[in-house]
Amino acid sequence: MSHHKLEAKDLHYSYPDDHEAVNGMSFCIYHGESVGIIGANGAGKSTLLMLLMGVLFPSQGEVCVGDVHVTKKTLSMIRQRLGMVFQDPDDQLFMSTVYDDVAFGPRNYKLDEKEVEKRVLHALELVGILHLKDRAPFKLSGGEKRAAAIASVLSMQPDILLMDEPTAALDPKSRRRVMELLTSFKHTKIITSHDLDMIFEICDRTIVIKNGEIAADGTTSEILVNAELMDKCGLEVPLALQNCPVCGIKKG
Amino acid sequence: MSNIMNSLYNMRILDDLARKETAIHKIHPLVKLLTTVSYLTVVVSFGKYDIGGLLPLLIYPSMVFALAELPVKPIFMRILLVSPFMIGIGILNPFFDHQIYLLGGKEISRGWITFLSILIKSGLTVTAALLLIATTGMDRLAGALRMLKIPRVFVLQLLLTYRYISVLMEEVARTLRAYSLRAPEQKGVHRSAWGSLAGQLILRTFDRAQRIYEAMCLRGFTGEYHTGGFKEIRVWELAYLAGWVLFFAAARIYNIPMVIGSLITGVIR
Repeated sequence: MSHHKLEAKDLHYSYPDDHEAVNGMSFCIYHGESVGIIGANGAGKSTLLMLLMGVLFPSQGEVCVGDVHVTKKTLSMIRQRLGMVFQDPDDQLFMSTVYDDVAFGPRNYKLDEKEVEKRVLHALELVGILHLKDRAPFKLSGGEKRAAAIASVLSMQPDILLMDEPTAALDPKSRRRVMELLTSFKHTKIITSHDLDMIFEICDRTIVIKNGEIAADGTTSEILVNAELMDKCGLEVPLALQNCPVCGIKKG
Repeated sequence: MSNIMNSLYNMRILDDLARKETAIHKIHPLVKLLTTVSYLTVVVSFGKYDIGGLLPLLIYPSMVFALAELPVKPIFMRILLVSPFMIGIGILNPFFDHQIYLLGGKEISRGWITFLSILIKSGLTVTAALLLIATTGMDRLAGALRMLKIPRVFVLQLLLTYRYISVLMEEVARTLRAYSLRAPEQKGVHRSAWGSLAGQLILRTFDRAQRIYEAMCLRGFTGEYHTGGFKEIRVWELAYLAGWVLFFAAARIYNIPMVIGSLITGVIR
């Protein structure tokens, strides 16, 4: 299914203060892939997501979703197919109830109210928070907020899910729940994170970013165990693959 | 500090109340909006010495309070919040308007009458507006305003301001918490930090607002705020509107307390 393909061709982007955040990135992500994008702080991960979503436009190069270029004219169509979950769910939940928040996207696409209801309930059920639908978002716990934010994107039935740090600031159980949820999705997934153990479990492919450039792109099982590469890019091998802190025996 | 967090939670009480499911809450938002607007019009149309005529209009908020099962205290506290403005507007009247007015055989300055009339009028109007929000909710209210063809720019401004107040207050609370933890001996914020604190706050709020706006755009927001469909207005809802409008009109045209008074005195005679 080529129309689910997401392609970045020689992307460049500089912020107004001339800081070059993305400097010639190219990659292609195919249908059903789950790709982890990792890199040190300030490596350009968030900027890259913004470029993919068309919040920012590259100063050079282009982004294609399927065969459509991301431009101002195609934004509406593109955004229906790409769903982005923000790092801070509070940025994403601004309506007075969870239901209205999840319905925000579908209503903007002028769907019939019955269809909106169907989608909202389905999305809430998928992430397991149907019982919270009438609650105010600000009263939810961190894990519940994250689930609501994911539901608010799922209700738009995107083909590709982009997530910025989906497990940040979650307790271990909530983190596990979000990970199970992500694994259960059949969507194409692009996940940026510093939670390398999560990337190791969920993503088949990993792109490592360093100073706005792609330092490595390949299968997760090869990249994340490459201690030298990880170290060079300001990262480290996932905890699960490091020596056992108690007996010192090397794992994996 | 805790005051700010408290008022933040208190502010959202109106949203919580709006989620109840009483008969009043179920009435079509447009009907409630029109009822409130006609109520406000009638209340402000009374002359400045006409306190007696205003009294029957107390019935409307009392009925809504009772039927919508709203707690009186939180709404009353909000009316108190605007009371300094009401007092500020009316407090000079007793000094400027010295004419004598006879009330039950006692002489009082007419200024006091106008002051009292300002207090009652503003109390009634603010209550009616708060009741409208507490029984309808801001989102549905905005939907009703759009039905009246109020330009979407204004409606959107109203809605987003209402939403962003909480965003701003959260930022304030967080900044003040960080400040107070590192300045344990101080009461409040020292004036040397006012400038940078306010500046930081506005920048952070801009950032936050920008992110929220991006989140909205990513989900297809193009300037129109959709709050879901409304049901058709039913006959009994029209009757509710007509009933109140007739009552307000009657209260405006006839001085009901006087009519009742003269009826009773007539019967006694």
